[in-house]
Amino acid sequence: MPILEIKNVSKFFGGLAANSDVSFSMEQGMIMGLIGPNGAGKTTLFNCITGYYPPSKGEILFDGRRMNGLQPDKVCKLGMVRTWQKVRPLAKLSVVDNVMVGALARTISLKTARDMAMEQLKVVRMEHRADFLAGGLPIGERKKLEVARALATQPKLLLLDEVMGGLNPAESEEIIQLILDIKAQGLTQMVIEHDMKAIMRISDRIVVLTSGEKLTEGTPQEVVSNQDVIDAYLGESHA
Amino acid sequence: MNKSMLKAAIGLIVLAGLLVVPRFVESPYALHMMILLFLSVSQGQSWNILGGYAGQYSVGHAAYFGVGAYTTMMLMYSRQVVPWVGVWAGVAAVIVVALVIGSICFRLRGPYFVLASIAVAEIMRLSAINLTTLTNGAEGILVTEIPAFKIGERVVTDFLTKVPFYYIGLFLALLTLAITYWVQHSKLGYYFQAIREDQDAAHSLGIHISVYKNIGLVISAVLTSLAGSFYGIYVGFVDPPTVLGLDVSVQIMLICIIGGMGTIWGPVLGSLLLVPLSEALRSNMITEGLVKIGLVSADSKVGLFLKENLAHAHVLIYGILVVLVILFMPDGLMGFVKKLASRRKREAA
Ligand SMILES: Nc1ncnc2c1ncn2[C@@H]1O[C@H](COP(=O)(O)OP(=O)(O)OP(=O)(O)O)[C@@H](O)[C@H]1O
Ligand SMILES: [Mg+2]
Repeated sequence: MPILEIKNVSKFFGGLAANSDVSFSMEQGMIMGLIGPNGAGKTTLFNCITGYYPPSKGEILFDGRRMNGLQPDKVCKLGMVRTWQKVRPLAKLSVVDNVMVGALARTISLKTARDMAMEQLKVVRMEHRADFLAGGLPIGERKKLEVARALATQPKLLLLDEVMGGLNPAESEEIIQLILDIKAQGLTQMVIEHDMKAIMRISDRIVVLTSGEKLTEGTPQEVVSNQDVIDAYLGESHA
Repeated sequence: MNKSMLKAAIGLIVLAGLLVVPRFVESPYALHMMILLFLSVSQGQSWNILGGYAGQYSVGHAAYFGVGAYTTMMLMYSRQVVPWVGVWAGVAAVIVVALVIGSICFRLRGPYFVLASIAVAEIMRLSAINLTTLTNGAEGILVTEIPAFKIGERVVTDFLTKVPFYYIGLFLALLTLAITYWVQHSKLGYYFQAIREDQDAAHSLGIHISVYKNIGLVISAVLTSLAGSFYGIYVGFVDPPTVLGLDVSVQIMLICIIGGMGTIWGPVLGSLLLVPLSEALRSNMITEGLVKIGLVSADSKVGLFLKENLAHAHVLIYGILVVLVILFMPDGLMGFVKKLASRRKREAA
């Protein structure tokens, strides 16, 4: 059974179809890349999947369960968590407290939550930042904090929205390794990214969105050799 | 000795000091000031839990203060219910009011809660004025005699001096302080602060936003109601403006905002500043002081004007204070103290 099934999902904002009739499914343990030009509707799809708003049409099944209409907190409890393209640190809390808020989805004990949080900080190599105020972190570490905080909720499916956006090559490389490490732990991931090289390296399959519609889907090889993709999307960067 | 032991030791000494004050201080006025201080700490601390930690600014806490005060006083006045029972009726009433406001407003985004909190407090004030059979209307309720508190046949206190009120006030202040401490060191406090810092992030991390906001509101309202009941019994008189007026709500907020929101000691610092200040304004101490040091003469126009108006000017003075705090100490007195401490640490290092 697929862990996630997106069935004919559409999302309208007034007359604008930010997502229109998008369908695909994900198997346990895989990394699905989600690409497309700016405004293609990638973040909107994350918002629909995680309950930030309900899809206007269509159906989202997670672990076989219909998710339409569930609130984000419930979605998180069921094992699906996302990071934010525009990072959302809890600015006045320390780094470890931020991650603890994630961990508290699974425990009531602060001590347990702190241990869980430190573990995730180790995963993103930020233990030394534990007591820093989250609001004072540089962008690279804010992105990693997003990941650590999401991981602390112990998800089955992790949705990453441009965690490499705005990072330098060294930082991006670190994130790529991090995503591969997370995959090695058996976690399923959906990754939005603009960096084609990176997405080609990490994805098992890729879905391409343009103007809200699914243009194509396939393995990284299939996607880069697809003429429609080259025209509609890669064309700009290959030209 | 390490830092936390030092803190605990200082805390114990202060507590011991506060416990023996009535043995050494006989001046009813000094005790009265201490009681006002305790009352202010418990008000500020109650608001802090919802406003400071959860970031939900209530500009209508007079509703909870007043309903607590009125319920206790009405029951004592017309049904001869002893206040230590009436208090709980006040608490029950306040929980109902809080949940009605919370369940309507916390579903919505935006400033609805702030606006609704003001509206509800005004509704309560107008009800107190107009439901004259229950509340005596604008006249208010005066209870001159509080029944003695007995355990079995033994009279624990007959409430004839200020001393029992001193201890009740102290207990209330310590209770709100302890609850704030507990909130800050529990899952609840983490969730409150997450909601304050970023509601969407909090929501995506598994926090049921409206449930936690309602929990914060109920804790805050119940503690405020206890403070209100205490005030009613202590003063022996409630009327709509003194317990349900908008300036009561503003005063409660300011204790916390000026002292430092979302910190355990903020409302204590805020009270230490505001209680003496409002007392000085009320009692014309400031005008007398200015006259004494020769800045204005008592029968000059300025002197007479100040004498006439300064007592009513506390809202204005508070407004100026808030502007100053926002400009120069955005994290309140507590933030200022912390900044000084960390600067000293850096200089020492
Ligand atoms: N809440 C909203 N209300 C109205 N329009 C919206 C809303 N959210 C997104 N849109 C619009 O929907 C379209 C898709 O936006 P979305 O953020 O999903 O794109 P994206 O693929 O994530 O783009 P980017 O690569 O720039 O992050 C855009 O035209 C955007 O302006
Ligand atoms: Mg986006």
